[in-house]
Amino acid sequence: MGRLFIQMTRGKKKLFAAMALMVMGGLLLLPIFLSVTAVASGGGAPAGGPPADVVAAQKEGAEGEEKKVEMGRDVYYKTEGPAIGMPAPITADNETFYPRYNFESRVLLWVANQQHLYYGSFVLAVPIFCMCIEFAGMVSKDKAMAKKYDQLAYDFIKISLTAYSLTAILGGILIFTFLTLYPAFFGYLSGIFRPVMHIYALMFVAESGTLYIYYYGWDKMREGVMKWVHLSMSVILNVIGTVLMFLANSWIGFMMSPAGVDEQGRYLGNIWHVLHTALWNPLNVHRILGNMAFGGGVVAAYAAYRFLSSKTDEERAHYDWMGYIAMSLGVAFLIPLPFAGYWLMREVYAYRQQMGITLMGGLLAWLFIIQATMIGILFLTTNYYLWQALGRMTGGERFQKYIKYLVFILVCGLLVFITPHTIVMTPAELKAMGGQQHPVLGNYGVMSAKNGGINAIIMTTILSFIWYQRGNRVPTVSWAKFGNIFMGCFFVIGQLNNIWLACYGYFIPANVRIGLSVPQVAGTLSCLLLMTPLNLAMLKGARPLGPIQWGKIAPRSQYALIMLATAFTWMMGLMGYIRSSVRLFWHVNEVMRDNSPWAYTHTIGFAANVISFNVLFFWISIMFVFWLGTLGAKKVPVPSTAGQPVPSPQPATGH
Amino acid sequence: MTWLKLVEGYMPMQMISELAICILVFSIINYSLKKAGMGLPKFWAGIFVWAFVNLFYLKYRIYPPIPFSVRAIYGTVSACGIFMWVSGSQPEWEEFKRPIINVLDAKTGFTKALRMALLILLPIGLWGFAYNSFLPSFDEPIELRTVHPAPPATTKVHGKTYVLQTAANPYRINPEGKYDQAYSNAHIVDQSMGRLMKDVKSAEDNPWDPNAKGYIKHVREGGEIFFQNCHFCHGDNLNGRGLWAFAFNPIPANFTDAGTIAQLQETFVFWRVAKGGIGLPGEGFPWASVMPPWEQHLSVDEIWKVIMFEYWHTGYYPRTWE
Repeated sequence: MGRLFIQMTRGKKKLFAAMALMVMGGLLLLPIFLSVTAVASGGGAPAGGPPADVVAAQKEGAEGEEKKVEMGRDVYYKTEGPAIGMPAPITADNETFYPRYNFESRVLLWVANQQHLYYGSFVLAVPIFCMCIEFAGMVSKDKAMAKKYDQLAYDFIKISLTAYSLTAILGGILIFTFLTLYPAFFGYLSGIFRPVMHIYALMFVAESGTLYIYYYGWDKMREGVMKWVHLSMSVILNVIGTVLMFLANSWIGFMMSPAGVDEQGRYLGNIWHVLHTALWNPLNVHRILGNMAFGGGVVAAYAAYRFLSSKTDEERAHYDWMGYIAMSLGVAFLIPLPFAGYWLMREVYAYRQQMGITLMGGLLAWLFIIQATMIGILFLTTNYYLWQALGRMTGGERFQKYIKYLVFILVCGLLVFITPHTIVMTPAELKAMGGQQHPVLGNYGVMSAKNGGINAIIMTTILSFIWYQRGNRVPTVSWAKFGNIFMGCFFVIGQLNNIWLACYGYFIPANVRIGLSVPQVAGTLSCLLLMTPLNLAMLKGARPLGPIQWGKIAPRSQYALIMLATAFTWMMGLMGYIRSSVRLFWHVNEVMRDNSPWAYTHTIGFAANVISFNVLFFWISIMFVFWLGTLGAKKVPVPSTAGQPVPSPQPATGH
Repeated sequence: MTWLKLVEGYMPMQMISELAICILVFSIINYSLKKAGMGLPKFWAGIFVWAFVNLFYLKYRIYPPIPFSVRAIYGTVSACGIFMWVSGSQPEWEEFKRPIINVLDAKTGFTKALRMALLILLPIGLWGFAYNSFLPSFDEPIELRTVHPAPPATTKVHGKTYVLQTAANPYRINPEGKYDQAYSNAHIVDQSMGRLMKDVKSAEDNPWDPNAKGYIKHVREGGEIFFQNCHFCHGDNLNGRGLWAFAFNPIPANFTDAGTIAQLQETFVFWRVAKGGIGLPGEGFPWASVMPPWEQHLSVDEIWKVIMFEYWHTGYYPRTWE
């Protein structure tokens, strides 16, 4: 009877805790729902319009007179609407519009923005990883594995917590930079986005609340139904985080491809048009994937740093495993990233041809060559890591002897991918070449060849992954031989199809050529989506050749992880610069002109230096964050016999 | 190595295939030597492959010569590739670095001498490199030229404004007199030299047929305009090697290259022809084009016709977005 009472009390406690959490979550989300409802119903002062008291005074003054509302035409949607906002300010190069220090304001803003973005991306990506890993731990039938996954998810969120505070601080710095250096522009932008900015701020509050409960409630909610509640909180956390990012994206979308305003920049009363600009959705998709890849890279670098500084085999084993998981997650999102980028560029071309040409064929084209180089580095490094990882498995050496062939494909693909269309050369070289385009290499400079190059690289990376999965296992299914032949043929045909289409692209019209990317991508995705499950099916009940010796990996692999993360960071800085500078001399494209003395495009060298500075600054600061993370979890070193095989990573001590 | 021809139309794949064959042959030779107990050490194999590709193949096999900037890119990437190969597995990495470690450890007389030589020669080499880089250079500076700057949204020619995103060539028409790019695409003859009288199956395809009308007649008219005005610079074969071409630096655009008109919308070409080098936007720095603004010499109709001829002759199709 007593036991039953205790059980009931425990049950009630759980129920009460769950209800309390739900109420808390509801309260956190309440302001957002209220704001959304208000915006949806057109309530509140119209964005960009005069304050309420002015409106009231105008009403009084106009008593008896018929109210005249000027109509405006949406620059993008071409719909008519009441021009209730103020026109975009026509600025001039003076202290009123552009207050300044004795330094280039644009660079200050650039650095503030980039740092905020780095941290923002990181803290948005990591909770998504946590959610996936925590879920994997919960559904895992293996208790030891479940515990490992849970510990890993906790390690991830612990890193992001300090970074979260820094994100908020950097956001504040960014706003102050805008207000003090670009008051006219920021005033106009906040006039248009006034309700959205309020929702954004409220969502930030909700995000913080959810994150803190999620983190600090980890131990309290580790069993039974409460664990599911905990996991649900991570879902809420990520939904809020994603919406936050979408809202921030709408501002840059508006600056690149404005909508919802007329030619003078007057707000026309439809907030959805302002949000839903031509480039908003492609930017959203591209950024989600980019953030995830970036987040994976940073966590992998953290694990590599901890691995290299580990004193015991247990620690090395744990951080080796952590690095592997983070790298896998990052690369999983890296693979579709070029396709999302392709969609974004397609939409850019559809929106404004000039913008597309400036990006890909004109002024900024050389930056895309640098981007291609960075993408190549990412994939090559990933492959290199996987080959090194084969070394910690008994049986992995079966595949290592074929590495040289993969290297050849990767290098050829990369060389084609990064060959510039407009070659840098001295006038003497130009004369010797007999024209601007090289008759052999010029063909590598156009899209058809480049699509072939990158698809060859991605397919090879998928093959490396499959080899890694097979590293220490031999398929024993009855159809293993057939499966191997089928898989081999599939990859060969995939590569041949890719090369053939890359060549064929030269003989057909450009619009049809663009369409060729679909079968090329389809070939690559087929390799990913059909061959990986096939491989897993073949590995069911496979004969193990030995355990994975976590921690027994060459340190080179960890430097590869650090390089992967650095390349992600550099590329993100580069692409942010490209996206922003494509507006050329516009604050808001074709609506609000930039009349500051810095309305010119930087030289490639200068831009590369600022990007490098941003990368360096981010890594120095994130090292500080990593160090802070270690302060709270100092453990007594466990003596260990050197060289002893480590069967599996041990979870760290309590949270 | 110009005696070994690069076959026009297949050159890019030929280059990759030749490299693949060379690497395969090296692998087979090295494998055979290994079987015979005389395998080339990994260190030297890596250096040999890099040197072969960069110092021999790309420098002497490919012609015209590849600019240094591209060879530098290729050299760096292939060095990374070779590093990935030699350090792909721990035993291979050990094998690769053994000669380096041997020299650094210097346990024999030879390695001691080699280490000493390196200690002396490396700083001298670096000094020489630094000295060279400080020497004054009298070469013309390198300019990052934007060959195809972004066009404006609209352009005004002979008093009429054209929206480049939506304008169309009025002579690209089918027999019904309607704009039809598919029709004109179908009547472009085979893309090879001497195409003018080759593969012409009917009057519909033959610009020299006295009964030619519609699209193909306008192509002929465009050709007449081209040979009266443009071929002096852009050449008989539209390859940018006309009589006067080599008086200019850079030489005029080569329309037969896949990277010029084949990449552009017809309206882009219309804008460039009409406005010439002097009408290049700021983005077109350093404005290295002496092409006259043809709107001062040709009518709008003539410009459209000559553009159509250029596409017809090269066998390319103007870029479209849909």
